[in-house]
Amino acid sequence: MSLSDEPDVLIVGAGPSGGMAAKHLVANGFSVVCLEQGEWHSSDRFLSGKPEGELAGRQRWHWSPNHRLIEADYPLDEGQSDVAVTMFNGVGGSTVLWGANWHRMTPSDFAVRSLDGVADDWPLTYHELVPYYEEAELDMGVSGHDGDPAYPPGHRFPLPAFPIGKVGQALAAGMNKLGWHWWPGSNGMPSRGHRHLAACARIGVCSQGCPEGAKSVADKAFWIDAVAAGATLVTGARVREITTNKSGLATGAVYVDRSGTEHHQRAKTVILCANGIGTARLLLLSKSAQFPDGLANSSGLVGRNLMLHPVAAVIGTFEENLESWVGPGGMSIYSMQFYETDASRGFFRGAKWALMPSGGPLSIHSGLAGGSLERGWGANAHRKMRRLGHNAVWSIVGEDLPDIDNRIQIDDQITDSDGIPGVRVQYRLGDNEKKLRAWHMERAAESMRAAGAVETLKVPILPFSGGHLLGTARMGIDRETSVTDPFGRAHDVPNLHIYDGSLFVTSGGVNPTATICALASRCVQHMIANRRDGRIAA
Amino acid sequence: MSRFTPEDRAAIGVLADVLIPEAEGMPAATAVGVTDALLDQVANLRADIVADLLRVARNKRGEDPSTFLARLKADDADGFSALALAVAGGYYLSPVVRERLGYSGPERRPVVPGDALDFEGLRLIDAVKARGAIWRDPAHERG
Repeated sequence: MSLSDEPDVLIVGAGPSGGMAAKHLVANGFSVVCLEQGEWHSSDRFLSGKPEGELAGRQRWHWSPNHRLIEADYPLDEGQSDVAVTMFNGVGGSTVLWGANWHRMTPSDFAVRSLDGVADDWPLTYHELVPYYEEAELDMGVSGHDGDPAYPPGHRFPLPAFPIGKVGQALAAGMNKLGWHWWPGSNGMPSRGHRHLAACARIGVCSQGCPEGAKSVADKAFWIDAVAAGATLVTGARVREITTNKSGLATGAVYVDRSGTEHHQRAKTVILCANGIGTARLLLLSKSAQFPDGLANSSGLVGRNLMLHPVAAVIGTFEENLESWVGPGGMSIYSMQFYETDASRGFFRGAKWALMPSGGPLSIHSGLAGGSLERGWGANAHRKMRRLGHNAVWSIVGEDLPDIDNRIQIDDQITDSDGIPGVRVQYRLGDNEKKLRAWHMERAAESMRAAGAVETLKVPILPFSGGHLLGTARMGIDRETSVTDPFGRAHDVPNLHIYDGSLFVTSGGVNPTATICALASRCVQHMIANRRDGRIAA
Repeated sequence: MSRFTPEDRAAIGVLADVLIPEAEGMPAATAVGVTDALLDQVANLRADIVADLLRVARNKRGEDPSTFLARLKADDADGFSALALAVAGGYYLSPVVRERLGYSGPERRPVVPGDALDFEGLRLIDAVKARGAIWRDPAHERG
């Protein structure tokens, strides 16, 4: 199909939600064009499986677009944020560099207002989402162990879990001493070959890019098959505006290609899948006389209620060598012992702990992390490096309650390589989040000691850990308090849909990719089923 | 042609051996070649730090290395960061250092299909199962 044609659907962003949408649309006979500002990235481009991978990961494959400095990225002003934002722009989206922790949200996550009196309920339940979670787990080749008591019965995985390894065994034994929940890791990587994915070799470098093609990245999970089935994926296509007609319907998007040429891609329906910052950026950029505050923004909520899920960590050091650089990386085990609200703790909601690989020597070098010359270098650095392989790391992801003042805005002072304004991020941890992470770090340190750790270190906010981009175009029933309906259709623009993390009403206390994929499936299947009722641009 | 002159390498080496001296059973930075082939390897991987690194090397003229490093860290964050990454990055690429640390990563440890999973074989997970469900049911709590 020529790009000058008008496809049934235009998708913006080739990450997991766009991929899930494309899969269903092409299977149901829709013509699809996807505009992606980045490129394809083959697994052989990643150095992460080699000794020099740690060096490369600190720039070329850095999590932060402000550090990568590649053309596909847009700049972020993070001067008013408690944590640096991370994302990746390319085919596969942020799954290119994700840590592959795979978690469904729990039933209570969808009813926070009803249960705890804070934030809001989602306009759907866990049980409504279960079939879509199951579909996504098969698509993404998720490996895990059936029967986790932190979830309702029936939570099964398409592929078996990984061994938990020496470090997992040590921590699991400690958790058992305390009588606390733990479970073998559920990871977005196959423990045996699965569709386009190779079997994971447990190199433990997922978040620097998988050199084996074994991590579930949306390019392999969705886009290869979607393109083979007829979807058109245009890379290097940076969208700067969603266009509308006099009737207030979306008509397509203006994008700039890598030669600097501007195009208008028309479409009958537009789906935004550009992540919780990129989607809000596009909506706010798409101002017109008809939509003076940005597209789909009559509620004033586009860009607001940003939830970033900054990660806390507790590191335990052990006498024995636990080979803690070994994967999956991914998580070997996790705990949801303190996931639910307990009023006696002084805060609402809870967190999940994931036992992650500790990385190589550069990852644990205190001098490179900013330590003083005395503490981080010299003989002290040699002494501290003896911890290599002896460290266990609990990565703590906790509930990040929505706050209307946490937001992204368009920043005209900074621009991407095509001159399109960047984004100003305003994000502060709230009182509940501070209390939650302090309490959880204490418990996590306790579990380390129970497992035999001789030393523990608490890190309240890991650098560059604002990678869960959520809440900036929330879904809901009431158009005054939400941007889209419960199926991701914009209240203000009937043929404009949003299927990414922007939709989240609350963050949950788990990694969001499973829910992003499941929501995208639910939303697009609803759109397909109701296609004859939908309004489209004439 | 190398982008580093012998003088550049010498200047970096003096600083490198303060940052990573021979101590605690580990060799000094220059003893494993941090200013030789390893420096070129790091520079090829991280062209983004080479300009800052050369600036640091060419500003290091006669001053006591510890004093120079303290001033550099206080006044020139980019320069110190480039030097630190070049020195540490090269040092831990050294096979000698990696062997001395007992570090074999990153390495492939594929799962052998059919192998019993360690958490089941050790019966670690039985205790978790025995403690039962911990999830919260909104439908139940709403009555």
